[in-house]
Amino acid sequence: MSSLLLALPSKGRLHEQMNKFFDSAGLKLSRSGGKRTYSGFIEGIEKIEILYLSASEISNELLKGNIHMGITGIDLIEEGRTPASKKVVMLSKLGFGKANVVIAVPNSWIDVESIKDLSEVASEFRSYNNRRMRVATKFTNITRNFFSKNGISNYRLVDSAGATEGSPSAGTSEIIVDITETGQTIEANNLKILKDGTMLRSESCIFSTVDEIWDHIDLKPVEKFLRIVSARSEAMDKAELSFDYTKESSELEISLYRNFKAIFVKGTPYLGDSVSLIAPLSELTSCSLYLTKMGYGPVRTSQPNFIYNRDSISWNILRESIKRA
Amino acid sequence: MINETNKIIDSLGGTGVLAKLLGVNLSAVSNYRKKGFPARLHYKIASLCNEKGISINEKIFGNISRTSLPIDSRPIEVLSETSINIMENLVSEKFELIDPPVLVSADKVLDRLGENIADRLYIFSDPAGTRLCLRPDLTIPTCIHYLNNGFNGEKKNYAYHGKVFQFHNPTSSEPNEFSQAGLESIGGDSSLETEIEIFYRTYNSLKKAGIKELNISMGDISLFSLLVDVLDIPVIWKDQLKTKFWNDKNFKLLLDELSIKKKFDNKLFYKISDLDQEMAEIFVRDTIGLSENQSPVGRSVKEITERLMKKSQEINTEPLSKNTSNLIRDFLSISDNPSDAIKKLKSISKNIDSKLDAKIDNVSERIDKISSLKIDLKNSIFSLEKGRTVEYYTGFLFDYNCPVLGDKANIGGGGRYDDLIKSVSSNLDVPAVGAALNLERVEKVIAMENSL
Repeated sequence: MSSLLLALPSKGRLHEQMNKFFDSAGLKLSRSGGKRTYSGFIEGIEKIEILYLSASEISNELLKGNIHMGITGIDLIEEGRTPASKKVVMLSKLGFGKANVVIAVPNSWIDVESIKDLSEVASEFRSYNNRRMRVATKFTNITRNFFSKNGISNYRLVDSAGATEGSPSAGTSEIIVDITETGQTIEANNLKILKDGTMLRSESCIFSTVDEIWDHIDLKPVEKFLRIVSARSEAMDKAELSFDYTKESSELEISLYRNFKAIFVKGTPYLGDSVSLIAPLSELTSCSLYLTKMGYGPVRTSQPNFIYNRDSISWNILRESIKRA
Repeated sequence: MINETNKIIDSLGGTGVLAKLLGVNLSAVSNYRKKGFPARLHYKIASLCNEKGISINEKIFGNISRTSLPIDSRPIEVLSETSINIMENLVSEKFELIDPPVLVSADKVLDRLGENIADRLYIFSDPAGTRLCLRPDLTIPTCIHYLNNGFNGEKKNYAYHGKVFQFHNPTSSEPNEFSQAGLESIGGDSSLETEIEIFYRTYNSLKKAGIKELNISMGDISLFSLLVDVLDIPVIWKDQLKTKFWNDKNFKLLLDELSIKKKFDNKLFYKISDLDQEMAEIFVRDTIGLSENQSPVGRSVKEITERLMKKSQEINTEPLSKNTSNLIRDFLSISDNPSDAIKKLKSISKNIDSKLDAKIDNVSERIDKISSLKIDLKNSIFSLEKGRTVEYYTGFLFDYNCPVLGDKANIGGGGRYDDLIKSVSSNLDVPAVGAALNLERVEKVIAMENSL
């Protein structure tokens, strides 16, 4: 059985965030033969060989089916996909590298707020100017797919390697498609994001290629690795709430789920049970206040480091997609 | 010139041998000795000479420009018999054979065809950094040939033959390079005669090449835009209907949407409704915060104002009536044998507008003329939807289909594209009609029909 190739980002912020994630998951990365080499391994997990590559190389190698798994952004995978690509599946989101691919138009276009407006303006633009409206972007594939789905055909793409948000005022394009975390750079350049102009919500994820490359791979170490990664990733944005179920209520379970997506760990509680709930971290306060209002308490809260489910979703996705029992 | 002609006839084996080679009678060849070779034989003679290693003086082909002869530029012996056959019927005194560029500006091609085709193109940069692509068809290169020769409206008729390049999904069986032969008529007036001539010549070349069963499907894109033009609906709806026309799903969504009273979030659409154009422009400048000599990024104040005014007109319009939307649907659903299709078209659109009636008469005349050329239209279809998926034609269009090929029966087609030169070059408003045949498919059809 041969080793599995796992590619990790080699530089920049993505590299740091990835290191932080592995640290928090208790996975120790070691470089083979010195700090500066571009290969390594995970201590305590055999037969996983680590390659350090740039995020865009990782996406390309996954889509070509040259590596088994890799950490990169959803944006890069979607952009790199071609009709010739191997199937690539997402195994787990990792909670960092969050950014959106958006459409932005000049602030002075006071008549344009939505994709529908843009679609109308695009065809009018062509008849006024006898050329197609130009869209500056490095996301040519994503843009083409999105525009075609929304029935916009009167446009031309202008390749933009960097500083895309400057091209409308520089006169090299009319509008842009760009990736942004906060939208601040876009606003600073006198552009506005269309209200339904978010084309893609991206985030760093662990991806796997679905190819015969997996044929002779020992899956035991992969299972262990994926169970740890997804347990950590699952816990990251979750909170645990504990309280005593001192009062019977037939609607509590359903309303907790409806309002806060909160779930009882052990299923429907019995009177007198000491129960615990798992809820999204963002709902922690409102969910706690709701419980006290309903007459329960004290509500103790904590944040778990890991949530190990009996069935690891990431592991199941991989096992099913490479069709191994 | 006559001397040269005689030399060639002798080198090829004399009057009798050449008559046999060309499949004509002896008196015809004797005639060539006196009058020179007719243009339709130039291609064949050139290839015969090439086969026998006979060098020829181009002057024997009269005063056709050097580029009209493919002898130097391309090894004729690789052309199949079918290709030569087809070319013989396309090239003539009237249709000059040209050799358009293989490398064309990627920007020009994308401006013409739109980004949706970008994933089918071979695009690259040359060492000087110019973005080029391998020609995906021969129509755009022919236009470039026309413009490069300094023409700007004169009528030129061209014939061409060559490889074109289109990327296909590696899992499909479609080839990434294939050969096209075709005709283009650029410039002059946009007459019915030119359309029929292009149609008839390509049809004939296929028949003479040996294709037995050939179904024609026809349409005319301008019928729909004319219908929309004469309907009593807001201008902005007309624009929207014409834009969404090219995608059936989006078009249906639009029709549904126009049929209900809409609400608009943008308050400016309401604010501008009482203003005249001049006041509205001032209002737009103030709202954006532009001083007198500043202009907005990417669009003019006029463009923005006019759109706002159209939107405010849209707000005050009652939804599209059921009658009108049904009329549009019925109109587009016509797809029938040409003469029946015209009958249906006439009955649906009577009493709408005289301009539409005139257009339908025009389409009907075209069909009559085609049938008068002894072309069997029994298995042919005239459809109002024809051409909707390729945003390309502006009027008459047609396809040749061979049932023997099954699902992918199309072996060529063409039509009118009066915006072609404009989109490739500049503001030149020059009409154009053309047609192209896929030679590999033509050969496949002949082989399959013969093996039946």
